[in-house]
Amino acid sequence: MTARLLILIILAQIALVAGQIFLKHGMNFTKKEIIPYRPVVINIFAGITLFTIWFLLWMGLMQKMDLSHLYPFEGISPVLLVIAACIILKERLDLRSWAGVVLIALGTLLVGIS
Amino acid sequence: MCREKNTPENTDAHPATPTGWLNPYLHIALNGLLVTTSELLLKYGAMETVQPETSLLLDILGFSTLGSLWVWGGITCYILAFVNWLHILRWIPLSIAFPLTSVVHVLIPLGSWLFLGEYISPVRWLGIAMIIAGIYFIAKPLMLSEEAL
Repeated sequence: MTARLLILIILAQIALVAGQIFLKHGMNFTKKEIIPYRPVVINIFAGITLFTIWFLLWMGLMQKMDLSHLYPFEGISPVLLVIAACIILKERLDLRSWAGVVLIALGTLLVGIS
Repeated sequence: MCREKNTPENTDAHPATPTGWLNPYLHIALNGLLVTTSELLLKYGAMETVQPETSLLLDILGFSTLGSLWVWGGITCYILAFVNWLHILRWIPLSIAFPLTSVVHVLIPLGSWLFLGEYISPVRWLGIAMIIAGIYFIAKPLMLSEEAL
């Protein structure tokens, strides 16, 4: 694997996580009694834009790499995402759920490398 | 379990979590099936369209995959999964919902094993078991609180 591929994989993961954060932030506004549609639409649009970047990067990577080499990196995304959700969206996880996230990440890594 | 910060948008009175066919936890399972289907279609389309590209940008972004009908089938499934995902995000914290979608890393190998007769190595079985255990860790308190309602 070249350094360029590694950088593209990391960029793809960042785009995916950032897109999810925007979507969740937008959908949080829909819990109000009277929904303010403007912030909902803007955040969802930002999320879709980032997902499109992730999608094209990921499709380009799938052309160049075997899934078996690409998939272990998917294990990183739940950990990155939960950390970002805690910092940016102020969500809080208890210890049991953190253990679950780590198990899922390690399990995804094992499924990927095997 | 996960608590969301008491921001103004969260402390406002909001509608109760839907039940029945709109139950967001049911939709997490549906999301896993939709994403699994689309991943398989996209990979098939990506393999079908491999070709040398003339420019660096075209090479980095997999635009040539858009010539495959399989890829468009995969994109359709992804759009359905996206609408379904918005419904999930409306009701469930992101840090709970996203790790649960890792169920696709269980469904894809199991589907390949059951329907395509592919071999699953002991290490892969271990990984599958760890993902299931992780999902159970996150989902168990949710199931208990649902029962308590």
